[in-house]
Amino acid sequence: MRILGGGIFKGMAVTLRNFVGSYINKKERLPTNDYSWRADGALPQSIGDYPKEKGEQLSDTTTVTEYSRNFPMLLHDGGEPMDTVRCVACQICERECPPQCIYIEKDYDENGKYIKRPAVFDIDVSVCMSCQICVEVCPFDAIVMNSQFELSTPDRFGGLLVRRDDLLKSNDYYHKIHPEEAAARDQKMAVEKAAKEAKKKAAAEKAKAAAEKKAAEAAKEEAK
Amino acid sequence: MSTAAAPNYELIQQDGLETNLLEVSMGPHHPSTHGVFRMDVKLDGETVVDLRPVFGYLHRNHEKLAENMSYLSSMPFTDRLDYFNSMTNNWAYALAAEKLIEVEVPERAEYLRVIMAELTRLVNHVSLVGFFINDLGALGTPLLYAFREREKILDLFEQASGARMMCNYFRFGGLRNDVPEGWLERAAKVVDHFPSFLDEYEQLLCENEIILSRTQGVGNLPRELAISAGVTGPMLRASGVAYDLRKVDQYGIYDRFKFRVPYTDGDTGDCYDRFMIRMLEMRESIEILKQALAGIPEGEIMGNAPRVFKPKPAESYGRIEGPKGELGFYLIADGTPKPYRYRVRPPSLINLTVLRDMCLGGKIADAVIILGSIDIVLGEVDR
Amino acid sequence: MSLELLIDILIATVPLMLIFATLFAFTTWLERKALARIQNRIGPNKVGIPCTRIGLFGLGQPAADGIKMIFKENIVPRGADRLFHLLAPILALIPSMLVLCFLPLDFPWLNENSVKAFLLDGAVIFFFAITGLNTLAVFMAGWASRNKYSLLGGMRAVAQMVSYEIPLVLSAVIVVMMVGSLNAGEIAGAQKGGNWFVFSPWGFAAFVIFFIAALAETNRSPFDLPEAESEIIAGYFTEYSGFKFALFFLAEYIAMFAISGLAVTLFLGGGDGPGLAVLPWLSVIWFLAKIFALIAVMIWLRGTLPRLRVDQLMGFAWKFMLPLSILNIFVAGFAWHAEQLDNKFIMVITWLISLAVLYGAASGLNQLNRGKVRPREYKYAE
Ligand code: SF4
Ligand code: SF4
Repeated sequence: MRILGGGIFKGMAVTLRNFVGSYINKKERLPTNDYSWRADGALPQSIGDYPKEKGEQLSDTTTVTEYSRNFPMLLHDGGEPMDTVRCVACQICERECPPQCIYIEKDYDENGKYIKRPAVFDIDVSVCMSCQICVEVCPFDAIVMNSQFELSTPDRFGGLLVRRDDLLKSNDYYHKIHPEEAAARDQKMAVEKAAKEAKKKAAAEKAKAAAEKKAAEAAKEEAK
Repeated sequence: MSTAAAPNYELIQQDGLETNLLEVSMGPHHPSTHGVFRMDVKLDGETVVDLRPVFGYLHRNHEKLAENMSYLSSMPFTDRLDYFNSMTNNWAYALAAEKLIEVEVPERAEYLRVIMAELTRLVNHVSLVGFFINDLGALGTPLLYAFREREKILDLFEQASGARMMCNYFRFGGLRNDVPEGWLERAAKVVDHFPSFLDEYEQLLCENEIILSRTQGVGNLPRELAISAGVTGPMLRASGVAYDLRKVDQYGIYDRFKFRVPYTDGDTGDCYDRFMIRMLEMRESIEILKQALAGIPEGEIMGNAPRVFKPKPAESYGRIEGPKGELGFYLIADGTPKPYRYRVRPPSLINLTVLRDMCLGGKIADAVIILGSIDIVLGEVDR
Repeated sequence: MSLELLIDILIATVPLMLIFATLFAFTTWLERKALARIQNRIGPNKVGIPCTRIGLFGLGQPAADGIKMIFKENIVPRGADRLFHLLAPILALIPSMLVLCFLPLDFPWLNENSVKAFLLDGAVIFFFAITGLNTLAVFMAGWASRNKYSLLGGMRAVAQMVSYEIPLVLSAVIVVMMVGSLNAGEIAGAQKGGNWFVFSPWGFAAFVIFFIAALAETNRSPFDLPEAESEIIAGYFTEYSGFKFALFFLAEYIAMFAISGLAVTLFLGGGDGPGLAVLPWLSVIWFLAKIFALIAVMIWLRGTLPRLRVDQLMGFAWKFMLPLSILNIFVAGFAWHAEQLDNKFIMVITWLISLAVLYGAASGLNQLNRGKVRPREYKYAE
């Protein structure tokens, strides 16, 4: 025979177990306190009482997870950012960005000649949805995702538009926040570069061969 | 097909005494309409004599937007349809587009897709049950237990895709990236732990007299009505039709896994059945997950599909068994990089169409839990 | 009225108000904290001593909430009945406060005279009469707000409170029968020395019925229909904000104290407990501890149960609680007669019989009322 109200007592046993468990078995019962799976298990310690004590390290270098993505950044290869910036202002990402939050202007030198870099590269924080489509479509590996999430600002007009110079981050920084991904990307770039060089070489050889052939033909012609 | 008629009621009209129906507009801002949804309810005392669902408050032009951008670009927008289940939304869309461009998906990617989809199903069902009990008036306790477990799965999603809810993880021909090292072990740990949580959950809910008496016999959905209204998913199975696209279509690699589809014999089809079917389905998902995690091979993650492509003029329909029902994407390509027509078959919307039939004659509190048991997400209903 | 009497009354009442107001603040904290732990959250833990980082487990939270409530804007909907809208929370608070005086709390600072103000012979009747006013306040709030949800909540509240008052009173009647007095002090006195009414089958049944009805009377979960959040927003206080809302909140908690205090008086021996012979003032501590034990159970239930539907709620009152409490009165009557015989053996037999009768009746009623509700089987398709 079932006890009167047995289901209710069972439920109360469960809640009591959870009540007690939340004091003695915090890891199981309050799992949001448990960061042990994360890349650096020490995350909560370094954060501390997060909103009250936010450290520099939090917004800049903490690897939240390998693939964490929050906002795009532009990569440069070290040194003076604008000299080594990888972006060539091809505007593919601008076209492909689903909510259309990127704005790019090409850079020209005094003579009006297109130099391969952006003069303006703005991304609107309030519109960007962290989807990393821009990262995927960029053919030059110039734009990648940053894991920095302290993007709030008291200035709701200018402050929400992140400018080119703030977007620029070095490849070293990228290696620091997403080591695996960055390494893979570097490798891919190296392979592509090698392939390109090989192609170039091949093309050059071909051209040389063609030239030689032409020359030979021309010589033949002359000989005729 | 039977459509429920408004129950008989008589308004008292005597000398000097006059009664009226009370018309209440529940929503769009109401704690239990699960978003911006409105029900125009006519009440006789507490009894619902008429109900008119009003939606469209969250219309975001999803389909038209997608027709104006490349195929890949609308992938992140599918996340936002049913924001609980971004992984399965991705899958349905990827399936439709893959049919257009005819790419093969590598083995490992297929396995990961199944793993992600079943984890999503767990997330959806577990939080649905929590919300449902919340609608019944519990103070959020079951919901928070559900969220405790959901959190662990979302952590897994975050490690794999970089985002907790808007995963945007599937790509045409595979997945965006492979899962990081150690992910599969962590997933196995979460999956192994899940049944013990389900035991606890069942102990908390399944025998509770109040829940039994509140949900049994409430919101009956007869089998014929369910079929003719196009209801799918757990709701259809609760009405007694054993129909599951994972079995019917066997998309992906579902033919490789052994699992069962719970359903009822169809003479009740009430809120309790819908709730229990979901509880049982979670156990089956765990079975699938265990098999998939054990059988996953090494290998490539991405077939050689181009990022941006121009499919030949054709049409395709990709559908999957989403946690809420049949989620389908219908695409017409016209040779440009953008789809000519892009249409979503949202399970939430179609399941919602039977709301009135289920609610009439019940109490106002029943209307709330019936809505909860349908399992809608307004992002998907209104698109 | 002489000045002396006035002072005596002040001495008696003012500390009572202060103590229960403090306890109210503490209880809100306790409830939030306990519910949080039940739900695997941490609960309030930041507000402590101002301007420092000392959290004190969030004990400052009630104070912070109070300050917030007082400074919030007082919104009255257009078209609402302003006078009744204002009166309702006050009317809700006064009766709950009034009945506190009749709890048999022997504060050490009370002298002969001031106690007299409380020693009302009809305390139990007075208690029910005064708490009945609560219904009026709730309906007033629901009606005056000019909001359909409020109105629904008000109607629900009236139906619920009126129905549950009957089992509440009927189960209190048993104790009155046994003791032969309506005086709270005498009822508590009759249970001295661990001789509590709850330790007998009829007393236990009456206590359970009383407790369940008390949950309904104070609108606590699972009977919180008048303020059912998922159905009718916040019920009768949907349109209340700021300090008026705080008053409702206060009234609700004070009513909780009052009704648990009555339960303690009637069934749990009042201030009875070990160590009274040495330290007589310990009885106050015991009394409050018992009240808190009951409140803890209320919180626990609130963390576990969903709420009933309105027709089930009424059905439960009329079809289950009422017959059971009437039956219980008969059982108690027999038991009283058996007690007069002063025979151990007959007493044991009476106990067994009443246990069987009560349990049988309860499960029989349950069986009658359950309708088609039962666990189900499910099929699987391969
Ligand atoms: S992350 Fe997405 S939304 Fe943000 S800039 Fe890149 S493509 Fe646009
Ligand atoms: S970030 Fe990449 S895609 Fe965007 S403009 Fe620069 S090079 Fe082109």
